[in-house]
This record gives sequence, C-alpha cells and structure tokens, in this order.
Amino acid sequence: MDFLEGNLELRERQRLEGHTDRVWSLAWNPATGVCGIPAMLASCSGDKTVRIWQQGPSGSWDCSAVLEDNHTRTVRSCAWSPSGKLLATASFDATTAIWECVGGDFECVATLEGHENEVKSVSWDASGSLLATCGRDKTVWIWEMQPGNEFECVSVLQGHTQDVKMVQWHPFMEVLVSVSYDNSVKIWAEDGDSDDWHCVQTLNEASSGHTSTVWAVSFNSNGDRMATCSDDLTLKIWDTSAKASETSGSSCGSWRHLCTISGYHDRTIFSVNWSRDGVIASGAADDAIRLFFESKDNSVDVPSYKLLLKKEKAHDMDVKLSAMESKGT
Amino acid sequence: MEPKASDTDDFLESTVLLDEAQYEEGFKDGYNDGLGLGKEEGREVGLKLGFQVGEELGFYRGCVDVWSSAIRVDPGAFSARLRKSIEQLGELVDKYPLSEPENEQVQEMMNTMRLKFRVISAMLGVRLEYEGYPKSSETDVVDF
Repeated sequence: MDFLEGNLELRERQRLEGHTDRVWSLAWNPATGVCGIPAMLASCSGDKTVRIWQQGPSGSWDCSAVLEDNHTRTVRSCAWSPSGKLLATASFDATTAIWECVGGDFECVATLEGHENEVKSVSWDASGSLLATCGRDKTVWIWEMQPGNEFECVSVLQGHTQDVKMVQWHPFMEVLVSVSYDNSVKIWAEDGDSDDWHCVQTLNEASSGHTSTVWAVSFNSNGDRMATCSDDLTLKIWDTSAKASETSGSSCGSWRHLCTISGYHDRTIFSVNWSRDGVIASGAADDAIRLFFESKDNSVDVPSYKLLLKKEKAHDMDVKLSAMESKGT
Repeated sequence: MEPKASDTDDFLESTVLLDEAQYEEGFKDGYNDGLGLGKEEGREVGLKLGFQVGEELGFYRGCVDVWSSAIRVDPGAFSARLRKSIEQLGELVDKYPLSEPENEQVQEMMNTMRLKFRVISAMLGVRLEYEGYPKSSETDVVDF
C-alpha cells in the first residue's frame, strides 16, 4: 500500500468502554490476530484494572476479562511477552505484576517489587526471558525470567537524573533504550554475559537530541530506526543499525540522529508508535493523532517524513498512547 | 613611620605603634580562638561523618555475614546469581578505603554498594532498608 498516494482517512471502528478512569496504555497480543486466532488487546487504567478485549467473529470487540484486585494504584503500562502467554502490568503502586492466561482467565503468577515509587513502563525483550521496568525513582531494572514464572533481578541501572518515562527493548538485539524527564535517551547493553549492564550511549541535546522531556520511543520493525517523541514538540528519528555492544566501553556511541520532524505539533507529544508498514503515529496533548511516512526524496541524503493525515479530536482528552496493530498481510 | 628597635628614647613610639600592637594582639587572640574552634568542629564533623560511613558499611557487612552463613548452611536455597551478588557486596565492603576519607572514589563506591544491596534485597524478596539511606528525590511529583 502506497501511503503517499491519495487521501487517507482514519476512521474510528469502535469505542471500547468499560474502564472507569483514564486509559493510560494498551498493548496488542503479538500471538493473536493471525492464523485465525482472534485479535486480543490489553488496556490499563487509572481505575487500577487491566481489561482484556477480544475481537469476536462478527468483528466487534468485547471485554473478555478484567484483571482486578491486584494493583492498588493506577496501572500505567502493560506489555505482552513475545509468546503472548504472559502479560506484565506496571503500576504506580511500585510493583509490576505478571499475569498468565489460563484458558481465557488471567492469573497473577508473580509480583516484581523493588522500585521505590511509581513504575512507569515495562518491556519484554525479543527472547521473552528479560523484562525491563523503569520509574519515577530514576532507575531502570532488568529482570530475568526463571523456570516456574519466577523473576530474578539482574541489575538496577542508574544514570538518568530524573523520572524515567519509558523503556523499550530493541526488536532483536539485547539492547535496552530508556527515555526520561531529564531530556535524554539512554542505551544500555550488557558487558559479555556477566550481568554487568551499563549505559553505552546517551542521546541528549549535544547529540542532536531532545530539549525537553522525552516521553516515548518506538523501533521500526527492522530495528534499524527508532523514533522518539518529546515535550519539545518534535519527533526525532535515529539510525539504530549499528550494534550497540560494539562500542561498549568507549565514549563515542554508534547510534545517531537522522532527522527531526518539527512544526507539526504545537502541544506535547506523549506517544509515538512505528507500525510494521512503516507508518509513524504520534499522539499529542492536543487530542490529535498524526501519521507520518518516509517520503522517497532522492535529492537529500537524510530521510524526510511527510505528514499523511491528522485526526483531530481523536479522543476527548490527551492522546497518551497509540499502538499500531500488526496485521498479517 | 618605621619602628626602629634602637630608638628606645622615642617616648612617642609606644603611642604611635599602639594601634598596630593592638591589632597584632587581637589577631593572635582571634587566630588562636579560631584554631581551637576549627579543631573542635573539625573533630565533630569528622566523627559524625566517620560514624555514618562506618554504620552503613557495618550494616552491609552484617547483612553479608548473615547471608553468607545461610548460604553455607543451605547453598541450594540461593541461586547462583544471588550467591555471586552477595559475594560481590562483601568484596566491595572490604575494599572500601576506611583510612582515606579524601579518596575521590568513595562516593561512587558507596553508590555501587547501595545499588548492589538493592538488587540483593529484590532477589531475596525482602524490603530491607538501611535507615540512613538517602532516598531518591520526593520533590518531583509529575504523575504521568
């Protein structure tokens, strides 16, 4: 599908109602929506619950489960393991719960404690054996899954000087990215196999980085690009094709700034998401969703991105998270 | 006017040099007082800081000793990673340069120990906290 041709429209298919407080985040179950398995979505909310939604045979979505009576405060973020069998939920109550889907019902099989206060984000690595969490206590924690759904803390990473908003693993490398209220993006990698994780690169203002809080990060499906969004009203695209571990120990990093998408947003950009088809979606404080796509302009060396469409009033309030569905072709 | 040691006949000398003499005496008194006060305060601060550092190190040493004993009794109850971390914390405590308070690396070493302690506590599933532990800032409360 050539996104750059013709008029594009974003149409609301259905409004999922059920949560009794704001919905902070959602996540598509990666093992669903293909091979005849109905698509499944998890949403987490300020009402302290997580709701599971499934697409029925008629195409409409219903709430198939409510994960409640566990978190004692807002559930801020959720993430499915690559196998789709486990769901991690991160909460302001400083814990991260791990849920297992057992015949349609969800059971909490582990609770990860350690953060001093609100956990803001959780992310599984490509192998499904490592989990990363981050929070207001400025730290990033890495956990390893053991047999029997046990989780062991591998490392606590310090480096950010403020609240860490989001963590995201690279789609296939054992490399972790964290973004923060301190305006920087940090890249973390392990030294060999020693549980010795450290920051191999920091992308800040000096490296053409953001000049205000960085709220989110998203990799493209190839893993050679990543997009970050910020309170500074820009989206930045980074070249992430180099293996971060090659430069571990040296102060010069290997991921670099490619371009900045500016002038399209006039309010804080809270979320960014890169779809499998290469469309970048942004959600901002002006209640609008914007879609961008790389324009094939051969006269310049750096890639440039065009605005495909802007959907205003997409939500009644700030658009905090947009997640792109991965549809099988 | 230059004071001349040989000029003892100048009856005006002591008058003329009065303010200088007073100044010198005042300075000597003040300096000695300051020296005394400074030493007092220095000793107090040093004692306090030394006590704080010692107490925290002692706390970690105590924890490591208990955990190491438990490991000896039942090694299987602790995962390899946990055993290694406890060992590493013990090494860090041993390596801390107690007699070099001006060593620039002591702050970093302390931070490394605190971090290691947090990791071990998380692995053990206990909410252990050293009372003197400075918590991360409570002041920024942007709840997003």
